[in-house]
Amino acid sequence: MKNLVFIFKSAIEDFSRNKLRTFLTSLGILIGVFAVVVLIAMGLGLKKYISDQFEAMGKNTIFLVPGRILSGGGFSGSASSITGRFDSRDLDTLKRIKNVSKVGPLTLKSTKLIGLLKEDFADIMFSSEVLLEIMGFEMDTGRFFDKTDVTKRAKVVVVGSKIATDYYGSAEDAIGQKVTVDDVKFTIIGVTKSKGGGGMGGPDYDSYLYGPYTTGYIFNPDKKFFRLMVKTENESFVPQVKEDIKNEFLKRHKEEEFSVVEPTELLSAITSIFTVLNTILVAIAAISLVVGGIGIMNIMYVTVSDRIKEIGVRRALGARKSDILYQFLSEAILLSSIGGVLGLSLAYLAVFAVQNLFPAYIDLMSVLLALGISSAIGITFGVFPARKAANLEPVEAIRYE
Amino acid sequence: MIKLVDVSKEYVIDHEYTFYALKNASLEIKEKEFVSIMGPSGSGKSTLMHIVGLLDKPTTGKVYVDNKEISKISDDELSRLRNEFVGFVFQQFNLITKLTVLENVMLPTIYCRKDLSFDPRQRAVDILTSFGLEGKLNSRPNKLSGGQQQRVAIARALIMKPKLILADEPTGNLDSKTGHDIMMLLEKLNKEEKITIVLVTHEKDIAAYAKRVIKIMDGEVV
Repeated sequence: MKNLVFIFKSAIEDFSRNKLRTFLTSLGILIGVFAVVVLIAMGLGLKKYISDQFEAMGKNTIFLVPGRILSGGGFSGSASSITGRFDSRDLDTLKRIKNVSKVGPLTLKSTKLIGLLKEDFADIMFSSEVLLEIMGFEMDTGRFFDKTDVTKRAKVVVVGSKIATDYYGSAEDAIGQKVTVDDVKFTIIGVTKSKGGGGMGGPDYDSYLYGPYTTGYIFNPDKKFFRLMVKTENESFVPQVKEDIKNEFLKRHKEEEFSVVEPTELLSAITSIFTVLNTILVAIAAISLVVGGIGIMNIMYVTVSDRIKEIGVRRALGARKSDILYQFLSEAILLSSIGGVLGLSLAYLAVFAVQNLFPAYIDLMSVLLALGISSAIGITFGVFPARKAANLEPVEAIRYE
Repeated sequence: MIKLVDVSKEYVIDHEYTFYALKNASLEIKEKEFVSIMGPSGSGKSTLMHIVGLLDKPTTGKVYVDNKEISKISDDELSRLRNEFVGFVFQQFNLITKLTVLENVMLPTIYCRKDLSFDPRQRAVDILTSFGLEGKLNSRPNKLSGGQQQRVAIARALIMKPKLILADEPTGNLDSKTGHDIMMLLEKLNKEEKITIVLVTHEKDIAAYAKRVIKIMDGEVV
């Protein structure tokens, strides 16, 4: 063990005299570790972001979507989901099913929104009061529309926090303002708290307006919905309710015209796609680790050639082949570990820097992976030059000039 | 202590021409002796020294160390003998420039697998002090004069308390006064510490320090 301390000390001494060479040699590993760790962190963050979004919808939620969106765990074709629509009879069917506590249809209407500060196009989601629960909204100011509003076809809307600040200045200023949609005047009765997100092409729930679907019939005389949402009494009813919905809907629709899904099913489908994508990206990044390893091997061969005389002297003083092997091997491992640690630190900085834009995070697993892989690369690519050094004939080495 | 019997060393050059660095050389070095191996350059004296120092193996013939035939022992065992039994002093000093003087002297101790009977650092400091190098412990070897460097090399050769010191042209890179200082140091080690010394040189007056001179010419002991 005294040997090992000595070896590391002289290796570090060597590196500090060749700072530039050491840095350039470690650079390959640095970049590789950085890329792998950051990509894993982004993958993890994305997965967590998506599952958080679905989590908010609650566990006892069922969606009905036109067309077949899930078959065998993945998406297949989306053309039918655009043409297909549910109507109010479907909605009534749902209401009659046992253990269904709440039903919410969904339609979208785009409108020009004239606020105090700006005017632009915005989308209104028309649904029932169940939307509050399914989306997991919390109110900032005012209230969400309730069952009475739905029954009375009240001309009220709730706006997302971003709409409130962008168009009216603040949530307080937005309350009570009139919104005109195709000559129909709505009153803003509430502002939701920000849910964040929307950064990665996902829906930004802070930038919508929400109104009762019954009032939405004004713009939707056919009473068609692109999605139906169902809440059951509790989680245990979900499988039975799904089955019942399927059976009831098959009386009116063909099997391929609708899908009954739970958010968790969607979640696993989406995450499996992201996992595959992320794995491919990480694999590509890992190639740079191999390239970095080859760089280390190259420089270690140079080091061995530079130090043939030293190797001869050490052998004359009693170093065994294995002593020389370990000396050069530890230098290679040290070189790649320096790259690994630097890459990891840089990855931490990068993840920290994008934290507000992207929910990436580094877990213990990727730290261990980064350090493990970088030292494994040191061993793999260091062993050949080290063996060359160890197998030099002592007398040849000491004569070498 | 060391016996060479009919030792030859051949090098095949370009697969056809065979060069004999040593031809049937036989010699014996007894314990506590001070022997010079003398001959002109190219006479094979360095090859002879490398074989005596267990750095090289002969093509034919036998080498005995303490009556043990070395062709039968493993590479690790040879390393152990070089570490514990022999101390080398070279013409080029061969100090490791990135290590300090003290670390250079201690270097053989890190390759020793058994427990040492002494504290390596203390012994290194003691030897260097007795050589008048107490002020240079943490200097780099290349900051030292030739004579000082050679004394560091001798200190390194002594650290493991070897029975044998092999000195290959130890004065070759030194001026004659410093050279004679180094020779007197080796003479003293032989007399006072009873260390066997084998000296390789081509200089007559340097060889004269030894009690016995073995002459070598064209690979043959004459």
